Amino acid sequence: MSVKLHIRSALSSIRRAPFQALAAVSVLGVTFFVATVLAILVYSSNQVLNYFTTRPQVIAFLKDEASLEEIDVLRAKIQGDERVREVNFVSKEQALEIYKEATADNPLLAELVDPSIFPASLEFSVSDLEFADQVIEEVKQDEIVESVGFTASIGSEDSLGGVVERLKTVTKYIRLGGLVIMAVLGVTSFLVLMVVVGMRIASRRHEIEILGLIGATRAFISSPVLIESVVYGFLGAFFGWLAALILILYLTPSVLKYFGEIEVLPRDMGSLLGLLGVIMLGELVVAFFIAIIGGGLALSRTGSRRR
Amino acid sequence: MVEFKKVSKSFGGIVALQDVSFKVGEGEFVFLVGATGSGKTTILRLLIGEYRPTSGEITFDGQRVDELKSKELPALRRKIGVVFQDFKLLSERTVEENVEMALAVAGIEASEWDRRVAEVLEVVGLSERAELFPSQLSGGELQRVALARALVTNPKVIFADEPTGNLDWETAEKIIELLVKINKQGKTVIVSSHHKVLIDKLGMRMIKIKKK
Repeated sequence: MSVKLHIRSALSSIRRAPFQALAAVSVLGVTFFVATVLAILVYSSNQVLNYFTTRPQVIAFLKDEASLEEIDVLRAKIQGDERVREVNFVSKEQALEIYKEATADNPLLAELVDPSIFPASLEFSVSDLEFADQVIEEVKQDEIVESVGFTASIGSEDSLGGVVERLKTVTKYIRLGGLVIMAVLGVTSFLVLMVVVGMRIASRRHEIEILGLIGATRAFISSPVLIESVVYGFLGAFFGWLAALILILYLTPSVLKYFGEIEVLPRDMGSLLGLLGVIMLGELVVAFFIAIIGGGLALSRTGSRRR
Repeated sequence: MVEFKKVSKSFGGIVALQDVSFKVGEGEFVFLVGATGSGKTTILRLLIGEYRPTSGEITFDGQRVDELKSKELPALRRKIGVVFQDFKLLSERTVEENVEMALAVAGIEASEWDRRVAEVLEVVGLSERAELFPSQLSGGELQRVALARALVTNPKVIFADEPTGNLDWETAEKIIELLVKINKQGKTVIVSSHHKVLIDKLGMRMIKIKKK
């Protein structure tokens, strides 16, 4: 019905003042560019954190006399604990393989050892590092457990526990910083959109008055303005996202190479584009609401009253 | 159809209308006569709810206009076809689009627009001017576009505010003839004017507004 008319009005209004339109789209574009980059940063930092937190953190070395049944019972018991995730059994033979891999540059070392000297073990990680001490103490009590090691206490100072804690702090600051930046950019975009829409309304004041006098409802008068506002929102979101997409596609190979086995970004193009597609959909929804609320607020200030 | 009962309107200390009372029945043709500044346009603005009377009652089609809420005004205005003194045409739209806009506002299906616009432009004699913009038209043509826009939604009443005000004698006569023709088709027509010769010539009912 009159939807086509409203769309035509909105588009012709954009054509009439292209620089105002450009200003609105540019500011929104910058906002959504930063939003896309931040979203990817948050995703990547989560991936790094996830990589480290899902690595085995606790190793329970088992006594040589422990039978397979006893090991299964202990394994089931640990697996049933809510604080624990991903329990793996490492047999003596597997332990030797790990040793061989670790000493691959000096094969003689591996030739001198027999699997029997390596203890079998149960490796697992805890859902939160805060639980580690409690779980270690409980597992130590089991009869078939020789000793329990926490990877945070095995190795150098730059232990897994320390790395995870540091990553958590970094992730927290990325999220917090991202939220602050997005809030500032979001408010700026919102205000610019309101000013541009307000200018459009001012330039159409005569038309709005005439439409009101011939019986147009508030919704009829508002529609082209809101459509125009939504067009700015969508264009800004799309171009901001597109610029971020180009940057991310350009940087992805180097980033993946740098992080090695940590999959900070999806390795296959389909999944990467899927992730960016989801981000774009979210941004279009946000752009829609910014446009409708910004346009609506600008319109609410122009309401005519009966004299 | 239209009734003003002891209607007064003041703007601060300035009295624009005082105790105006009149009735216009369905299908009537009435001239609202008065000197410039006597309040003819104020009557139009009161009738379409743009102004609220300081006192008195205004009834249109059985509905108290002075008691309507702002959100009820669009429905009222769609029932009254108004030809404004200054035309109030959309300068960036063509003749056709100006007339179409009234149909869109009234919520009439877009599939109807072409036929109805063509018909009404034929009635006012502007079929050849459909693609032109208001700035490309003469005063008489602008008046006829405004009339076409008022007619196209088939309202119950047409209110023409000084439709002959800025026109030469011949064009003014043509516009009035057109309004009479529309009235003969059954529409109520109210014309505000100070064109005494023309009014006297037609011999229609007159409502005189005295300047305060």
